[in-house]
Amino acid sequence: MKKRKTNQITRKHAFTGYLFASPWIVGFLIFGLYPIGISFYYSLCQYDILRIPQFIGLRNYEQLLFIDDYFWGSIWNTLFYTGLRVPLCIIGSLLLAVLVNNAIKGVKIFRTIFFIPSIVTGVVLSALWLWILNPQYGLINSFLAYLGIQGPLWLLDADWSKPSMVLMSLWSIGGGRMLVFLAALQGIPQHLYEVVELDGGGWWAKFRNVTIPMISPVIFLWTILEVIFSLQVFIEAYVMTKGGPLNSTLFYNLYLYNRAFEDFDMGYASALAWLLLLITLGITALQFKLSKKWVHY
Amino acid sequence: MWKKIKISGGIILTAALLLILFIPSSKDYNDGKIHIRYWYVTGAKEQIPYHIKKFNEIQDSIVVEPTPLPWNEHEKKILTSILSEDPPDVINLVTPVAKWASRMALTPLNDLLKKDLFDSSIFFQALWKEMNWQNRIFALPLYSNSYAFFYNKRLLREAGLNPENPPSSWEEVKKYAKILTQKNVQNHFKQMGFIPQYGNLQTSILMAWQLGAKFLINNGTEVDLENYQMVRALKWEVEYFNDYPLNEVSSFMAGFGFADQHGFISEKVAMMVLDNTFIDQIKLYNPNLEYGVSVIPTFDGYKTASSSGSWWVAIPRGSKNIEAAWEFIKFSVKEETQLEESASQQEILFPANQFAANNSSFNKGNEKIKTLVDMMEYAHSPTIIPLAHDIFWREFLGARERALHKIQKPEVALKQAEGIIQNQLNQAIEYDSYVRSKMNFETISN
Amino acid sequence: MKNTGKKISLTNISVFILLGVFALFFILPFLWIISTSLKGDAQIFTIPPQWIPYTFHWENFTKVFDRMPFLIYLKNSVFITSITIVGTVLSSSLVAYAFGCLNWPGRNGLFILILATMMLPLQVIMIPLFVLFKEFGWLNSFKPLTIPAFFGGGAFNIFLLRQFFLTIPKDLLDSARIDGCSELRIYWNIVLPLAKPALATVAILTFMFSWNDFLGPLIYLSDKTKGTLALGLGMFVGQYVTEWSILMAASLLMMLPMILIFFFFQKYFIQGFTMSGLKE
Repeated sequence: MKKRKTNQITRKHAFTGYLFASPWIVGFLIFGLYPIGISFYYSLCQYDILRIPQFIGLRNYEQLLFIDDYFWGSIWNTLFYTGLRVPLCIIGSLLLAVLVNNAIKGVKIFRTIFFIPSIVTGVVLSALWLWILNPQYGLINSFLAYLGIQGPLWLLDADWSKPSMVLMSLWSIGGGRMLVFLAALQGIPQHLYEVVELDGGGWWAKFRNVTIPMISPVIFLWTILEVIFSLQVFIEAYVMTKGGPLNSTLFYNLYLYNRAFEDFDMGYASALAWLLLLITLGITALQFKLSKKWVHY
Repeated sequence: MWKKIKISGGIILTAALLLILFIPSSKDYNDGKIHIRYWYVTGAKEQIPYHIKKFNEIQDSIVVEPTPLPWNEHEKKILTSILSEDPPDVINLVTPVAKWASRMALTPLNDLLKKDLFDSSIFFQALWKEMNWQNRIFALPLYSNSYAFFYNKRLLREAGLNPENPPSSWEEVKKYAKILTQKNVQNHFKQMGFIPQYGNLQTSILMAWQLGAKFLINNGTEVDLENYQMVRALKWEVEYFNDYPLNEVSSFMAGFGFADQHGFISEKVAMMVLDNTFIDQIKLYNPNLEYGVSVIPTFDGYKTASSSGSWWVAIPRGSKNIEAAWEFIKFSVKEETQLEESASQQEILFPANQFAANNSSFNKGNEKIKTLVDMMEYAHSPTIIPLAHDIFWREFLGARERALHKIQKPEVALKQAEGIIQNQLNQAIEYDSYVRSKMNFETISN
Repeated sequence: MKNTGKKISLTNISVFILLGVFALFFILPFLWIISTSLKGDAQIFTIPPQWIPYTFHWENFTKVFDRMPFLIYLKNSVFITSITIVGTVLSSSLVAYAFGCLNWPGRNGLFILILATMMLPLQVIMIPLFVLFKEFGWLNSFKPLTIPAFFGGGAFNIFLLRQFFLTIPKDLLDSARIDGCSELRIYWNIVLPLAKPALATVAILTFMFSWNDFLGPLIYLSDKTKGTLALGLGMFVGQYVTEWSILMAASLLMMLPMILIFFFFQKYFIQGFTMSGLKE
């Protein structure tokens, strides 16, 4: 009797759950299944988009893993970029959110100023930073020259190119990410802070014992998302450096693009894509495992 | 109460917007004329190309509807339009014809050429050769760029060199450049004589051509990048930079831009290989620049060389108005049309029609333009490996970079690049024969 | 860490100074965009950088209207973006509710699948997706750019909202269930109002993405009457020469609505009451 009731409840839960999730499921079946499935098939083929695919088995994957230096080079570039960018961006947005979470005068204007950089995108953003980082007449080097320092070649120097791009992405830490942190900060119940105050704790104690744990789900969310996005960095490198100098900014997704749409080698590009999915899944799974230690629901 | 009104209002509005999406758009014309769509990549200044306007004027059975495409990602747009099986009727592109022709993206023109007894000798032959893929013609060249050696007469004179005697060999270029290079008080470059990596043409490839290099041998199946001519040319370039620290040159070049910020136009670089558009650009941005145009220097005992990319027009596979499109294309490349077009535009568009280019109303007696036209005789195709074009240039430029930064010796760098390109070429050839065996090439290409 | 801020304390002053310093870093490059939009092309890349133009070329802004059918593109962009926002907010919140507030078999597996779809680069999906839309007959229309938004709104938004919904105390939902509320009512009357900041964020981010989308409109729209602002902007970038002044002027015009929307949506971030008193 009890088992039947549990089954009924489970079925009801399943029905409701799937019902609410149905928009995505239906969307996936209509718009997702075919493109994703066929791209996997293409990864096992030689295919140039305009003609028919030729099945070649695992040749693309073999070539990628054992012969292609660009594959490994681009992985290194991408991991370096991700490892540098994600912590800095998360900390940066968090810091700003904390700052901007004060009801002092003019905070609305500050929030808008912080937000504006994130809406500059695409060609304009790249053009802007090409100017800022220009070794001759750029904003940074002109300012450094004023102080008597000779600035580096930034994007034109193989050692500085990746850090330059990380710097560029730090300009938009006031964007949507900061908004989400802000919303999360505003959801922290005041009385928790009061408890720390009663114990004699200052702002650091409050921050460490209340703020961080309470918004840790959101921090975790963004860490996952930012890793996924950083691993797919493309447009900035495509517009500004085209992978150079000396392939220092040849990121994985840029290499993929070259193979897909310059060489018209969609099969190889698809293999690259699926490998990236595997790599990203692995890193994300790792993050989920580690999250049990510090994320507090 | 208000909330309910707001919500139902929102739902009705959304529904209405969604319905708008599904209103069919009518696309049929009832004027009895054939409408052909023409997609071309726009120059930065928007101007409907002359040949479109004129064609629509002089006859009224065909209407050409032009759509300019943004330069960014235009290839994707063309690619997807061919996949949609409803492509435009004429496209105007600059990437190698072979890139599209080898993938069956274009309609072969042989039958149309034969039917109209089209005389292909009107084109510069270097450009005409590009239109051919595996013995079929897929496009007609419309415009080209011709390159020549530009040199700043005033800077030469001020350096004590004879401004009427520009260098004719690479050794002379090297000597002149040394004299013409100056540094400022902070020991940074203020002016340079010649920078091999500045400009659209790769100096070392140019040199290799001059020395007689052939990069694709064995009936198009073997890549020979590490040939002795290429090695010698690249070595020359690497040694050239022994006199000029690479970092400082890069820093100096970072100050260059386009128009009046261009290195040659702003008189920061004394000698350069440039194309014909610079005649107009100099007139526009620095009319007081005293300069000369001469044949591109070469090695003693060797003929000079140049590069001959072109803008071409073609009919994509799947077009429904091939005859009408052909009429339009034919008209665009006529000598008359090209001369009128060049006169009406601000910039000189170098016509692919050699009679137009040699016509005195085009060169207007300008010796500089005549030199540029003459250089077309020595032009080589930049589509060196048709089936692996982009990868060739990526690998070559990478090898060159490694050699210049002394990471690898020139031979080693070139050999490494050659291996990668060869691998790609092999796969492309294998794939090509697979496709041929599976698809009946004749029926596909109507 | 929230200050009631009425008193002028040392904390307030130092916060203000910090805000000011950051603001400077953020606004300076943006000022250059404004400055460039008012220059003639010749003065843009000078050494040292020129902040105030010699003459103010206000006509750069009117030139934008000459060079592209701005109003038509604006209308199209507004249309596409509005529908996309509505579809995204609605469907992603529904789906996020399933993952954040409900318990059902297969939930975690499906969530991993959703997450995984974000990990496959769009480049290899783009062409098959295009072919799919071709089969539907949706080419040269707004449909590919808008209708998919109603089917989940994208994994990113679902993930974002789910994390937010997870912070809503379960007791609140359970007590509503005990009272006999259907899940739909709980979703609509309890969860959505509580999640206003998160929903506002999704709306803003969706706006940004849709408004600036260049590639989608490029390959799915072919008539000149169907273009969007982002496409129009692309026309100012040539193979070698880019028309900087007019490009910057046009992008400023494009950014204006976003700045306004952001300012407007800010009110959702001031209400911070949410869940205090309900957490133990």
